[in-house]
Amino acid sequence: MATRSLPFLVLAMIGLLIANLMFGAVSIPFKQILDGLQTGNEHHFTIHEYRLPRTILAMLVGAMMALAGALVQGVIRNPLASPDVLGVSHGAGLAAVFYMTFFPNADISWLPAVALVGSLVAALMLWWLCGSHSSTIKLAITGVALAALYASCIDFLMLIKPLEINNALLWLTGSLWGRGWNQLSMLLPWLLLIPFALWLAKPLNLIHLGDDSAISLGIKANKLRLASLGLAVGLTASCVAICGPIGFLGLVAPHLTRKLVGGRHQILLPATMLVGAILLLLADLVARTIDPPIELPAGIMTAIIGAPYFLWLLLRTK
Amino acid sequence: MKRLIYLALTALSLCLCSLAQAVTVEDSKGTFSIDYTPKRIVVLEFSFVDALAAVGVSPVGIADDKDSNRILKEIRDEIGDWTSVGTRSQPSLETISSLKPDLIIADISRHEGVYADLQKIAPTLILPSRRATYEENLQATAIIGKAIGKEKEMQARLKKHDEVMAELAAQLPKGKEVQFGVARDDALFLHTANSYAGGVIRALGLKNANTGRNDDAYRQTSLEQLLTVNPDYFIVGHYVTPSIVEKWKSEPLWSILKAAKNNHIYAVNANTWSRCRGIISAETMGQDLIKVFNAKK
Repeated sequence: MATRSLPFLVLAMIGLLIANLMFGAVSIPFKQILDGLQTGNEHHFTIHEYRLPRTILAMLVGAMMALAGALVQGVIRNPLASPDVLGVSHGAGLAAVFYMTFFPNADISWLPAVALVGSLVAALMLWWLCGSHSSTIKLAITGVALAALYASCIDFLMLIKPLEINNALLWLTGSLWGRGWNQLSMLLPWLLLIPFALWLAKPLNLIHLGDDSAISLGIKANKLRLASLGLAVGLTASCVAICGPIGFLGLVAPHLTRKLVGGRHQILLPATMLVGAILLLLADLVARTIDPPIELPAGIMTAIIGAPYFLWLLLRTK
Repeated sequence: MKRLIYLALTALSLCLCSLAQAVTVEDSKGTFSIDYTPKRIVVLEFSFVDALAAVGVSPVGIADDKDSNRILKEIRDEIGDWTSVGTRSQPSLETISSLKPDLIIADISRHEGVYADLQKIAPTLILPSRRATYEENLQATAIIGKAIGKEKEMQARLKKHDEVMAELAAQLPKGKEVQFGVARDDALFLHTANSYAGGVIRALGLKNANTGRNDDAYRQTSLEQLLTVNPDYFIVGHYVTPSIVEKWKSEPLWSILKAAKNNHIYAVNANTWSRCRGIISAETMGQDLIKVFNAKK
């Protein structure tokens, strides 16, 4: 059952990749897609400069955010956990909104760097408050509290500087609009984190037996937690810096995957990456094609799917 | 051989011709040069549509938020049909590309993030629109005129605009205090002296109300804060009905507003006053104000 759904996921992802290249405000037949890669072709801009980098970015960001979600849920062992409880995306949001409201004339190309610094500072803050030896529940609650604090600071900034609300809100919903090869190349170095994350699969299985059993089986529980959360922070921070906080992806994707392939991390981690990629590709495809030429932020789409699922999850775990 | 020389000469003269035509302007990102007269222009803010319509040029594409009514009727009649390229905040780059434009006019406040992408589609002139003052807007309009090869026409139109504004000002009382604000469902935004509407009000010989802090073009204002500003004349553009201002009318504080006591509150088209920001809309605003001041006589 577990391994059987993997080929389907791969097929679905490839199908969506092609669909993302074909459809948009202007539909381009499948046969012309390859021609569009050549310079001078009439679809060159649409395919090569616009849809291709955006599609690859959606795939990578979806995969990385989902993987971060699976890592966090793996060590915090709470179904409601997601990278959001670490306060990382809100930290990035606060830094970005601060930058946009107080330096409205500053160069916008610095925004990813500012957001990245914001999320890393947020992660350090959490670490500083909790240390490396505190319980996961303390970590989660502190993270949620910090996230709430950052969120209220964001609201405060937007209330005192309402002029920038549009740009800030647009960024805060998370969008792939206007992201191209530049942003993609900023994300590439962070892909190095993925093999490390996959390498943690086996110890993550053991920690599910409980700390005591895991330790007696030779797992250094605290180090593992720190490593997983650190990787999750890196993965989330890099994605959020480029696309803004795309909500619910890190929460929903690992859950869906667990339903499909079960809880063994060796399969769960790669499969959750596929599911995350599929979800974000789908969200961006819908966001671009639902009412062209209007482009909705992909973050709205993931929230539309994610929020009801989150509620259902809450009701079920009661 | 003769033919070759002839060809070379023709090519050379063509080159020289186009070189002679090349215009260079300063936009928000530095120097912008164009060596042909653009025929297929895509604009990403309403004020640029106004500038094109002022010299009778029709854009092929407009980021009109997919709602053609957001363009003033006078302007719609002037420019004819166009293709929507989506919202002003996130215009669809593939739709822009499919229109094969030879000039894009973008807003530095909204579109700086995609400036590089726009340039890959067509030469992109990037100018202030959102958050721009009346004076900055006139400068941007003049730059657009030059870039689209209509410098003379645009200068003439701008001169006429000054005359129209002076004429309108002559019909308006001098130095009266006028404050404009847009009312949404849950918030009132006053357009301060730094805003486009504030500039137009001054250009018409009227006075801006003192809105306190003047660092922003638009300021969200509660009923109590509005009472502190307490303008003599209050012009409201309702984005929705009923807007927050209509809800305030039943509050006791409302009745002690100077403008409410003297019946000096008037509704105008929020779109003209807030979103359009161009010379045609400025003239429409002047006519609105004349109606306002004549109504009370």
